[in-house]
Amino acid sequence: MLSALIFLPIVFAIVMAVWPQKNTVRHLALGFSLIQFALSLVMLSRFDSSTAALQMVEQTAWIQRFGISYFLGIDGISVMLVMLTTFLVPIIILGSWNSIDKQVKGFHAALFVLQAAMLGSFLSMDAILFYVFWELSLVPMYFIVGIWGGSRRIYATLKFFIYTMTGSMLMLLAIIFMMRLTPEVTGGAISASLLDFYKLNIPFVAGEFLTPQTLLFFAFAIAFAIKVPMFPLHTWLPDAHVEAPTPGSVVLAGVMLKMGTYCFLRWVIPLFPEAAEHYAWIFIALGVIGIIYGALVAMVQPDVKKLVAYSSVSHMGYILVGLFVMNQYGVNGALYQMLNHGISTGALFLLIGMIYERTHSREISKYGGLASVMPYFTIAFVIVTMSSIAVPLTNGFVGEFLILLGSYVYSPVVAVFSVTGVVLGAAYMLWMVKRVFFGPKGELVRGSGNDSSDGHGHGAVITHANHDVHDAHAADHHPLLDLSTREVVVLVPLIIMIFWMGIFPNHFMDFSKASVDYLVKNKMDYSIPLSANAAQAQEK
Amino acid sequence: MNTMLADILLVSPMIALFLFSLIPLSIKVLRGNVEQSPTATIIIGLIGLFLTAGLLIVFGGSGKTAFNGQLVFDGLTQWMGLIAVMAAGGSMVLMYENPATRGRQFSELIFLAMNSIVGMLILVSAVDLITVFIGLELMSLALYLMIAMSHEQKISKEAAIKYFVLGSFASAIFLYGVSFIFGSAGTINILDLMENASILVKTNKVFMFGIAFVTLGFCFKVSIAPFHAWTPDVYQGAPTPVTSFMATAVKTVSFAAFLRVLATKPLIGSENLFLVLQWFAVITMTLGNVAALVQTNLKRTLAYSSISHSGYILVGAITAGISQNSAFAASSVVFYLLGYSLMTFGAFAIVSLIEKNEGHSIQTEDLAGFAKNQPLLAFCFAIFLLSLAGIPPLLGFFGKFYLFSAAVSEGLLWLALWGVLNSAIGVYYYLRPIVVMYMHEGDCDVSDERHFGTTTTIVIAALLIIVLGLASGPLFNSIEMALM
Repeated sequence: MLSALIFLPIVFAIVMAVWPQKNTVRHLALGFSLIQFALSLVMLSRFDSSTAALQMVEQTAWIQRFGISYFLGIDGISVMLVMLTTFLVPIIILGSWNSIDKQVKGFHAALFVLQAAMLGSFLSMDAILFYVFWELSLVPMYFIVGIWGGSRRIYATLKFFIYTMTGSMLMLLAIIFMMRLTPEVTGGAISASLLDFYKLNIPFVAGEFLTPQTLLFFAFAIAFAIKVPMFPLHTWLPDAHVEAPTPGSVVLAGVMLKMGTYCFLRWVIPLFPEAAEHYAWIFIALGVIGIIYGALVAMVQPDVKKLVAYSSVSHMGYILVGLFVMNQYGVNGALYQMLNHGISTGALFLLIGMIYERTHSREISKYGGLASVMPYFTIAFVIVTMSSIAVPLTNGFVGEFLILLGSYVYSPVVAVFSVTGVVLGAAYMLWMVKRVFFGPKGELVRGSGNDSSDGHGHGAVITHANHDVHDAHAADHHPLLDLSTREVVVLVPLIIMIFWMGIFPNHFMDFSKASVDYLVKNKMDYSIPLSANAAQAQEK
Repeated sequence: MNTMLADILLVSPMIALFLFSLIPLSIKVLRGNVEQSPTATIIIGLIGLFLTAGLLIVFGGSGKTAFNGQLVFDGLTQWMGLIAVMAAGGSMVLMYENPATRGRQFSELIFLAMNSIVGMLILVSAVDLITVFIGLELMSLALYLMIAMSHEQKISKEAAIKYFVLGSFASAIFLYGVSFIFGSAGTINILDLMENASILVKTNKVFMFGIAFVTLGFCFKVSIAPFHAWTPDVYQGAPTPVTSFMATAVKTVSFAAFLRVLATKPLIGSENLFLVLQWFAVITMTLGNVAALVQTNLKRTLAYSSISHSGYILVGAITAGISQNSAFAASSVVFYLLGYSLMTFGAFAIVSLIEKNEGHSIQTEDLAGFAKNQPLLAFCFAIFLLSLAGIPPLLGFFGKFYLFSAAVSEGLLWLALWGVLNSAIGVYYYLRPIVVMYMHEGDCDVSDERHFGTTTTIVIAALLIIVLGLASGPLFNSIEMALM
């Protein structure tokens, strides 16, 4: 089941790469991604949310000499992230219908490989298998930014690749080191299984830096913190986001950043509980700095995509704080916020992509008064903004509330500082909305609109010649046309999710609750139990 | 008599290869010095190589010794020999299709290449230091000529002279070291040395000098810094197929002999030597990677990358030298060399193809547009480069993984750490050709004529890198079994 989830996209990617017809590639990709989503729904229906156990386990030996196995499993921590991945990909494909106009086959093949790698890193329970998927996910992303990105794409993509790679190289060494320790618990054989890693009791001395656990903790934590990204390791993110094509930004914000936070939960906290607890303050402090710094920098951005990119830094700061306060509220909230951020920031990037397709500009100052020209677009944007700034009844509220509650339990000071992020977040997002959608019409909005005159927008339209015939025809006369049917189809599921997750958080949180509570309670002596049939499978 | 026959059977791969190498040359002489069709020459050459590989598989791994213990045919001989034959065969296909090497003297070139491989096979099987020297010289002398024989590039003459002068110097130092060892230990058989080497290392300064000189000779051959200076110039100046031959087959067998000296443990107790070697490894990795960062010529970039890989491999060789159970570390070196040969061969093969079209030595910038015109070849090149950079799940990653695992398990954590950090530097220059290929507009292409053989070998190498990467477990096991 889980293998199918990972390898089906690889098969899809190969089919895409050799598919002979150019104009049906997008339809095919959309179909494939929907099959993949349906498959993940089947997986979800079989998932038992009442237990913290590892389910649907698949294990076969891979490299016996080093105890490396092909070991997949899913529990409450990973299940929702898997769903998020499969849910976002069809939306991304539909959302990039017009914006990707060169090497369409290659793009979709890369997207499917990326999906496979991300799912693989969420589902792997073996350190080396995980590392393989973790690194593999860099390659398609590197190509997506580098080939289909903006003008400074090559700088951005190299920076992204090298930052992440440097971090993960340290992690690889840490993994090798830990594998060397496993004979203690397995009775002689080396093992790379995460379950054996959990059993390890790595020496820790509080206050001394050069102890194995502290060093391993930092080797892992830095690798993941780069991915999250945590202040001050975040500088690759704004570059990558701004230069990435819309679908690239959505995957990056929606899923890839979550790989970092997920790994804190799956690896760092349960593997190095003492060190994590002892040094939690560093990560909480940097998380809080990230929240405030990200928000302040976002506020002054002239480019709307960069603004959202910095808001990501701020939001990921929340998630870090939630993770490292390490209580039930915080961790549940952080996990929930990962999904929220995936959906709302993903939606924001899609919306920005839509407006960019029309005007080829992302400068806030050139807009203004968009609401009167594109009312439906405005409604969608405002709803997503509300979710992003955590207005009650939207998903963002639930996550941020839980994180703040958790941080208050940890220390009121942290909560006070984190709350400023909420205020600042509301400030920069609403200010941006005001400048783009309301007020006097900006230079890009003026002269266009429903009465089709020869404005600025006209010139811009000519440059994107590769539009769908239908869209291009329409856009020729109405540069700032409101949402097309395709765009509505893209946005509606996201908006439904925003409200569904905001009003009935338990529908989603129930899947992860058992695992998270178990982790929080037993973090000092953590080991995921195997579900009954999973244990059987392992026996075999 | 029977022992004689058994010995001859054991060395039958070398004999077969030598006899086959004579065929194209004899035909040319019999036809009155008129070059026959290169196709016939290359086919005879490749049949000879296949036969050799077959004989090596049949007779190579028995663990027997031949000619009074001068040659040994164990797992190391077999694996390293096969890797070298494979890489050399691929390079010969490149020679066939590259205009710089295919010409009026193609039969001589193939003759030299095959004799160089005979030297390699002697080198991988030799356990007597003099026999090691003979193998080394047979291999190198043929190589000097091969480098100089290109009739298009003047620069290749310069490269050949440079390599010849420095190479002879290194050989002399090696031989000098051998004489010291013989003088102090009374034997130059590596297996015999084992018995009293650990005492000699501590008591006899002359012996220590001998070992040091022999080691330096090897360091030169496998381009370990600070004895690497010839590498970029020679790699750049030689015709690309010959460069590929040098960077893969020659490096593999030189490391095989080096490994044999280090890993058969005559040197336990000589901590100083290993300490120096560790520093060499650190310098080599750093220098190779940092220098590669600033290169614009593609062949030069690959040359520095090859230096940095020598550094990684040296880490493995040192581990094999200091560990009690050297089979594990030694097999990680063999595994790495297999992967390294495949990906380096692939990269040079691509360079050889493009160079033919451009008509001059290519800069990284010249690759622009390659992905659009040749999607399959560009994809293969990307695979080679990513594998060189150590991105999983490709063969290069697993090579590094085994190598550094071995180092960590022997307590060489700092070397592994340094190697890992260097790999991160390496990513930058390995990605640059990919950036140019895929992300820049240009018209880089491969000319229409004759590249079927090269393309085939490239695709095979890329497939092997992916498949062997995924199946690295069984592969590593069989290497380790063979080396036990």
